Amino acid sequence: MLAYFLRRILLTIPTFVALMFATFVAIRLVPGDPVEVRVGEHGISPERLAEFRHELGLDLPVWKQFLAYVWQLLHGDFGTSVATQQKVLSEFLTLFPATLELSFFAMMLALLIGVPAGAVAAVKRGSYFDQALMSVATIGYSMPIFWWGLLLIMFVAVNLGLTPVSGRIDLIRFYFEPVTGFMTVDALLSGQDGAFLDALHHLVLPAIVLGTVPLAVVARMTRSSMLEVLSEDYVRTARAKGLSPTRVFGLHALRNALLPVVTVIGLSISGLLAGAVLTETIFSWPGVGKWLIDSISRRDYPALQGGVMLVSMVVITVNVIVDLLYGVINPRIRHGR
Amino acid sequence: MKATKFAGLGLAALLFGSTAVSAKTLVYCSEGSPENFSPAINTTGTSFDAARPVYDKLTEFKRGTTEVGPGLAESWEISDGGKTIVFHLRKGVKFHTVKDFKPMRDFNADDVLFSFNRQWKPDNPYAKVSGGKYDYFNDMDMPSLLDSIEKKDDYTIVMKLKTPNVAILANLAMDFASIASAEYADFLLKKGTPEQFDQVPVGTGPFSFVAYQKDAVIRFKANKDYFGEKPLVDDLVYAITPDATARYAKLKAGECHINAFPRPADLPEMQKDTSLKVVSQSGLNIAFWAFNTTKPPFDKKEVRQALTMAIDKAAIIKDVYLGAGEAAKTLIPTTMWSYNDKIVDYPYDPEKAKAMLQAAGVTAPLDIDLWYMPVQRPYNPNGKRIGEMMQADLAKIGVNAKLVTYEWGEYRKRAQGGEDITAQLGWTGDNGDPDNFFFLDGCTDGKPAANNIPKWCNPEFNDLLVKARVIPDQAGRAKLYERMQEIEHDEAPEFLIAHSTVFEVMRANVTGYKQSPLGAHSFEGVDVQ
Repeated sequence: MLAYFLRRILLTIPTFVALMFATFVAIRLVPGDPVEVRVGEHGISPERLAEFRHELGLDLPVWKQFLAYVWQLLHGDFGTSVATQQKVLSEFLTLFPATLELSFFAMMLALLIGVPAGAVAAVKRGSYFDQALMSVATIGYSMPIFWWGLLLIMFVAVNLGLTPVSGRIDLIRFYFEPVTGFMTVDALLSGQDGAFLDALHHLVLPAIVLGTVPLAVVARMTRSSMLEVLSEDYVRTARAKGLSPTRVFGLHALRNALLPVVTVIGLSISGLLAGAVLTETIFSWPGVGKWLIDSISRRDYPALQGGVMLVSMVVITVNVIVDLLYGVINPRIRHGR
Repeated sequence: MKATKFAGLGLAALLFGSTAVSAKTLVYCSEGSPENFSPAINTTGTSFDAARPVYDKLTEFKRGTTEVGPGLAESWEISDGGKTIVFHLRKGVKFHTVKDFKPMRDFNADDVLFSFNRQWKPDNPYAKVSGGKYDYFNDMDMPSLLDSIEKKDDYTIVMKLKTPNVAILANLAMDFASIASAEYADFLLKKGTPEQFDQVPVGTGPFSFVAYQKDAVIRFKANKDYFGEKPLVDDLVYAITPDATARYAKLKAGECHINAFPRPADLPEMQKDTSLKVVSQSGLNIAFWAFNTTKPPFDKKEVRQALTMAIDKAAIIKDVYLGAGEAAKTLIPTTMWSYNDKIVDYPYDPEKAKAMLQAAGVTAPLDIDLWYMPVQRPYNPNGKRIGEMMQADLAKIGVNAKLVTYEWGEYRKRAQGGEDITAQLGWTGDNGDPDNFFFLDGCTDGKPAANNIPKWCNPEFNDLLVKARVIPDQAGRAKLYERMQEIEHDEAPEFLIAHSTVFEVMRANVTGYKQSPLGAHSFEGVDVQ
C-alpha cells in the first residue's frame, strides 16, 4: 500500500512541471501584458513603460522569466498579484472556501439524487422512469451553465420569489466577520438568528446550477454500472437465496456498482471547478473561478499562474485521494494487478 | 428533527449573542471588486467608486456637475499670473476611526503634503508601497505642472506651478488627489504594515470603511461628524455583482437599491417597470473616427468634410448604440460648460460628399484603411460594427475602406504614432474641464506617440487652447472654447461619432441620487424611503 501511495505521489511531479510550463506559456501567448492592459486612452511614455516592465521582470528573456518563476515556486512563493498587490496565496485562501462550499453542496446534490435515481432506473430498465431519467440526464449533461443559471434566477428567484437572486447571505440583515470562509459555518458561528438558514437558502440555486452536469453524469454512471453488476453471478445467487429485493439491490448490487462512481466523482472535481467559473460569475459568488477570469482579462500573470497552480494542486490532490480510496475499496488495484 | 435544529440555532444565537443589523441600509449593486482602496494608485472607475465614500479632496465637484467648489480647502486665491494658488484649509475636520487606528488629531496641512508627496517624491516612505504606480498623477501631468507644495501653517497650503494652468483646480477634485491621513500612514509604518494603508482606508469622507470581502461585499457606515452634506442612511453596502443580468434581477427582487451599468437591452423593460426609476445623461466621453491630416488626401480639409458627410451617424447611433448614445457635433459632451450648441452638425449627404471629393481632385475609387477598435470602450460599444457600417456608407461615394485592426495595446500605440490613415478612437474625460478634451487636438499632442490622433495642428486653435489655461474666470475661458469648437467643426480633423448615454437605474423609493457627469457613483444625500 505504501509503495502504491509513493508511486502515485511521485507521478504528480511531472504533471506539476508540465502544468507550470503550460500556464506560463499560454498566458504569454495572449496579446497584451499587465502594463499595456493597465494603460487607457492616455497612453504611456516609453520611459514609464520600460520602468514598469523592468519592475515586473517582463524585460527579461522568457526563459529567464520562467526560471525565476520556478525558483520562486520552489520557495513556496506563488507571487504577488499585479492588480491588487496582494500575495496570490493569500487571495486564493480567502476565495477558495467559497468555491469549495459551493462545489461541496453541488456534489452532494448530484450524489443524493443521482445515485438513487440511477439505481432505480437500472432496476426498472426500459420503464418510463428509466427512459425519462436518461432523457433528462442527457439534457442536464448538455445544459449551458450560463443560460441555465440565468433562467433559474429569472424564474425561481425573480418571478416566484422562492430564493435569493445571488450572493452568499442577505447583506442587509446579517453582518459578521468571516472566520472559516465557509458561509454556512460562519453563519452558525455568528449566532445571528436565521443566518445559517439564509446562507443555505443562498446556496440553493448556485448548487443546482453547478450540480446539474455532475448529477447527470452520476445518474448515468450509476445506471450503467448497476446494470453490469445486476447481471453478475453473485446477484443471481443472492436472488436465488431468496433475499429481499432491498438487500439484493441495496447491499449486494449497489455497493459494488458504486466503485466506478467514486472515480467519476474524482474526475468531476475538475469539471466542478470549471463550471464554478461561470456559476460564480452569474451568482456573484466570491470564489476562485471568477478571480481567475479577472486575472486573465487583466493579464495578471502572477495571479493567473499562481492561481492555476493552486487549483491544479487541489484537483491533483483530490484525484490522488480518489485513487487511493479506490485502492482501499478495491484490493485488485492496490496491488497493481 | 426540525424542532431540534431550530432549538440548536436558538441556543447558538444565545451563546454568541445576536448582532443582526437593523439600521437603515442602502445597497448599491456594483460591477466588480476594487484593486485596493487608495485612489492614488488606482486606475479603474470601479476602484475609485469603492474608495470615494471614504475620502475628500481639496476641491470637490459639486454633486451632479463638473463645477469645481470647495472641499477640504474652504477657499483659495490665485496669484502670480495663475502660477501660485494659496489654499485655506477647513478646521475641525475629523478622520475616521477604523479597527486598529483611532486618530489623535484633526485634518491639517501635513495630510495634504503627505497625500501629494507620496505620488510625487520618490523619497517619501510610501512612494513604493503597494507597487507605487501613480498613473493618474502622471497622466494628468502633475509632475510637470507642479513646482512646489508647501505648508505655510497648519491650515494654509501654498501650491506653485511651473506654468499657469487653472484647470489644475479640477485635477485636484479628481479621485487621485484624495487626502489621506498622514498620522495613519506613520502609525502603520511604525507597526511595519504600510500595505494596510491601501487596504483599510482612513479618510474624512461621508462614510467610513468597515469591511471588505473580495468579490462579495464592501461595507461602510455613515460618518456622523461629516462636515459636508450628511449621509441620510446608516450603512452603505456595495454588493459586488459582476453580471449585468444578475444585477437587474437583484434590483427587481429588492436585493439592491441602485444598480451600476444596466445593459442597454434591458432598458426598455426597466423604463416600463413602475417599481424602478431610470435616469440618464450624456457621458463624459467622445467616440471619433480620426483622419490622419499629415497624409494625403486627408491633408485637405474638403476631403475630410466630404467623408464626414458620407457617414450615416443616426444609423450608427440607432443600430450600434441601441439608442444609448447621443450624436456628437463637437468634441465635448453636452453636459460640459462651454459646449457650443450653435454649431450645426454636418448633414448625411452622400451626393454632396461625392461632389466634394471630385472637387477636391480625388479620383474614385479611393482606397483607404479604416482602423476599427478591437475592444469595447464606454464610448464605443462595437468598433467593428461601426467600422462595417462606415465601410458600407463610404462605398456609396466611391471610397473603398479596408477594415484593419490590431490587439488593443498595439492599436493604440500605432494610432498614437500616426501609422494609420484613418482610425477610430475616443476619449473619456478625467476632470470635467474642457481643456481635458481640447488638448486632444492641440499641437503639443500632435507629435508622434501622443493623444492627437489626427495629428492636426491648427495655430489659431492651439493659441486659444494655451490662452484658456491662464484665464482664471470660467466665463472668459468658455468664450475661447466656443470659438475653438467652431474652428474644429470647420476643419473636421475627426468624424465625431457619439457621446455614449450613461443610464443608471434604482428602486423607485430611492431619493436624492444625482447622476455624476464624470461617471462617479456617490451616495451622500441619498435616502431610501
